[in-house]
Amino acid sequence: MRNRPTAYGLTFALPLLVWQVVFFVLPLAFLVALSFFTVRNFRVLPDLNPGNWGVILWRQVFWQAYGVTWLLSATGSLIASVLAFPCAFGIALKLSANSRRWAVFLMVIPFFTSYLVRAYAWQVFLSDTGIINGLLAWTGLGPYALLNTPGAILVGYLTLSLPLVILLQVFSLTYVDRSLIEAAHNLRAGRLRTVFEVIIPSARVGLVIAALFAFILCFGDFVSPVYLGGGHPTTLSILITDTTKSGQQWPRAAVIALMMIGTLLATAFAAVHFAYRGARR
Amino acid sequence: MSPNRDPNRSALIDTALRVWIILCFVFVFAPIAASFVFSFNSDRFPTIPLGHFTTDWYRLVVADPLVWSGLWNTLKVAGAVGVLATVLGFGAAYTDHRHDFFGKQAYLALALLPPTIPAVILGLAMLAYLSRLTLSGSAVSVIIAHVVICAPFAMALIRLRLSQMDAALEPAAWNLGATEWGAMRHVILPFCAPAILAALFITMAVSSDEFAVAWFVSGLNETLPVKVLGFLQGQVSPRINVIGSFVFVVSIGLVIAAQLLMAGRGARPYEE
Amino acid sequence: MTDTRFHLARRRLLQGAASLVLAAPMLNRAWAQEATTLNMLAWYGHAEPDVVAEFEAANNVKFVPKYYSGGDNMVGLISQSPPGTYDLILSDAEYVQGLNEAGYIEELTPEDYNFADYFPEFQKFPGNWKDGKLFSVVTRFGFLGVAYNTEALTEKEVDTYAVYWSDKIKGKVGHYDWHLPNLGQISLLNGNASPYDIDAAAWTSVMDKARSLRPQIGGFFDYGGTFSSLKDGQMLAMAGIGDWITGVLQKNGAKVASHIPQEGGLQWSECFCIGKGSPKADLAKKWIQYITSAKGQVKSAEMAAYPALIPNRKGWDLLGQVDPAEAKRQGMTKDAGNAMDLIRSGRIKFRQWPVQQDLGTWNDFWSDYKGA
Repeated sequence: MRNRPTAYGLTFALPLLVWQVVFFVLPLAFLVALSFFTVRNFRVLPDLNPGNWGVILWRQVFWQAYGVTWLLSATGSLIASVLAFPCAFGIALKLSANSRRWAVFLMVIPFFTSYLVRAYAWQVFLSDTGIINGLLAWTGLGPYALLNTPGAILVGYLTLSLPLVILLQVFSLTYVDRSLIEAAHNLRAGRLRTVFEVIIPSARVGLVIAALFAFILCFGDFVSPVYLGGGHPTTLSILITDTTKSGQQWPRAAVIALMMIGTLLATAFAAVHFAYRGARR
Repeated sequence: MSPNRDPNRSALIDTALRVWIILCFVFVFAPIAASFVFSFNSDRFPTIPLGHFTTDWYRLVVADPLVWSGLWNTLKVAGAVGVLATVLGFGAAYTDHRHDFFGKQAYLALALLPPTIPAVILGLAMLAYLSRLTLSGSAVSVIIAHVVICAPFAMALIRLRLSQMDAALEPAAWNLGATEWGAMRHVILPFCAPAILAALFITMAVSSDEFAVAWFVSGLNETLPVKVLGFLQGQVSPRINVIGSFVFVVSIGLVIAAQLLMAGRGARPYEE
Repeated sequence: MTDTRFHLARRRLLQGAASLVLAAPMLNRAWAQEATTLNMLAWYGHAEPDVVAEFEAANNVKFVPKYYSGGDNMVGLISQSPPGTYDLILSDAEYVQGLNEAGYIEELTPEDYNFADYFPEFQKFPGNWKDGKLFSVVTRFGFLGVAYNTEALTEKEVDTYAVYWSDKIKGKVGHYDWHLPNLGQISLLNGNASPYDIDAAAWTSVMDKARSLRPQIGGFFDYGGTFSSLKDGQMLAMAGIGDWITGVLQKNGAKVASHIPQEGGLQWSECFCIGKGSPKADLAKKWIQYITSAKGQVKSAEMAAYPALIPNRKGWDLLGQVDPAEAKRQGMTKDAGNAMDLIRSGRIKFRQWPVQQDLGTWNDFWSDYKGA
């Protein structure tokens, strides 16, 4: 509306700006500085030492963990999106308004329930003598190794991201123009064709953003890799903790953290770009 | 939304979708239900078959003064975070709603970015930074960090509400002689009240469940979720499930309150 | 903490009424204001009521613990906190010298502590002293060997670390996720008399040996993770730990045990230090005096979180009187082959920093090994 900053306008705009600059931007900037510090005798000393970057970037285990983390998170986000879609589709387009409100409400609940506790509870389902193998044993199958596998990490990732993905998909599907769907039906388009050529394209932005959020959550998670994956394969979050174990190597941990932030930002920009380019078409 | 008798609707597919929805809910709620069950199980380690029913773990938790101090810290932090994050979030949402200015994209990015940074990284950066300001290891540092994470949630909620407001409402108030502050007080704030309360509850809920950043910066003033992490890393104990169930019930309370407030007064014009 | 019926019953009696009082925050706070607080940085369990309640009541003290999981975790917390934050620091022996060099701990007066009651081996405990000055007091220790599931393996089979390579337990061998105890055990298996003081060639062969173990490994676990995966049979053998884990599990009825194999075992040791700049150093000193006394030592040995051996002779005697079963279980009796005999026979080596390699070298190898 009006462009001239007024005392009134600034009163509302500035507090958040100041807070985020002082307590968010500056810590991240400090992280950059920290990545150049030197460690001696368990003490982290200010320095301009590029060696930390060399040590991390030249290590095979870093790139391996990088690849593993990226692949696991991408898989997690893909599976979450695929599993969530029929669910969100049903909630958004098939349920009555009242049931939909309840479904959405129920999906909010896990979002505010301790993720640590939920991940820990999965151990009982997945262990060799756990609930799933117990049920399988009745049918004469198993036992299968489920816990301490990449599959278990994915279960954890889904625990973390599925509710959010479903919610975001529900919101974007709710706003799909129904007359478009009816038009497709009137043109005798098959059900699947309607879904793939009408509904998914028009909800594309929401679907991509939902997948992106799932990726971000999984990429930085250390609970699932440690408590469900049994600490292997090594993810970046595990590598960060391990790195600090050689006599307070926080600077090297900072290098890994910065690489993670860079990756997340790049992925986010690419995803948003992809989402909106597709939406405009 | 009347059930339309569409020839394209197939009962089979509808049923399949409903079954799928239920399966998704089962997946999401299975661990929550399990932790409830195991909080009443006599065995220290959660294994099948179950031991016998017991409330011993609840008694141990109640008798542990450290849990109480953790709870007290959590409530203190969550209360402060809720208020601060909501105030900051409201300001940002209103700014986004009302003004167009150079650098607005950057402003919004800054306002919404923090939840996308993994908590481990944010915790590490916060600890290193706050300890240089000698702010680390106190409840204050947890509050600072949680406001950074929570303010975007508050902003998103309030922004959503503002977008439901008739854009002509505020100028109309000015035309009737109200000052900007007057319009804020008599038009904007009442209209946003349900969203503000919802934001308050949800930011409190997020804060009372956050453990990763809090572990780094809390020092001796641990919050309850940090204690849970400690129980998990150290002594595996069903007390994890007890505290988890407790936090669950509290968070649910806050969420239901937020839901009722949003649905009660707020959402009516929108739902029509 | 422990859930043996007996303990719960006792706790219930003691705390039934207390919990009601504690549940009322106002009363609780009024009570807390009177007591002096003492901040303790320690492994999980050291400031739990079963250990500290008596001292708290007698001295009107309230412990505020910060529990860490791993020595690096501990150093990180100290370095990022203002001096004097932690009055008491419980540190593994190998970290004490590091804490000392970094200036994080106070020098202690040897006369304050009753070393005469200690076994001779622990009177001049290497980790405690530097240039004839005392910086910490060892209060508990324990042995690391092969931790195993007694239904899957026999004591004969686990009499060598080579059991980790057994086909029988492929995919069921776990590591406690820290390089020092694991690589130390492999070094012992390789026949190194001083497992941590090895030259380049020996270090290379330790690495090769370790790599050959990697396909057997089912996971890398933290403190809590080792508990649950041994308990539910997820892992049938665990490298890098000992009775401090399996002892707790035994009390909970799990079929697990620890054994010191023929190649020998490693020793972990926990020492109390006073944090630099602690405003309550006197009270902290009083605590160390208490926990190193016979009475405190018995509490240490029986600590609910995890049991340990104690270096105080009079502590052994008292434990034999109050809990002979536990004294026998841990080998703290006058019988031949007890814990001190094990040490004196030279079969136990200190866990310590690598001498000829850099700490970073071992840690980096461990990361590579995990990622392999």
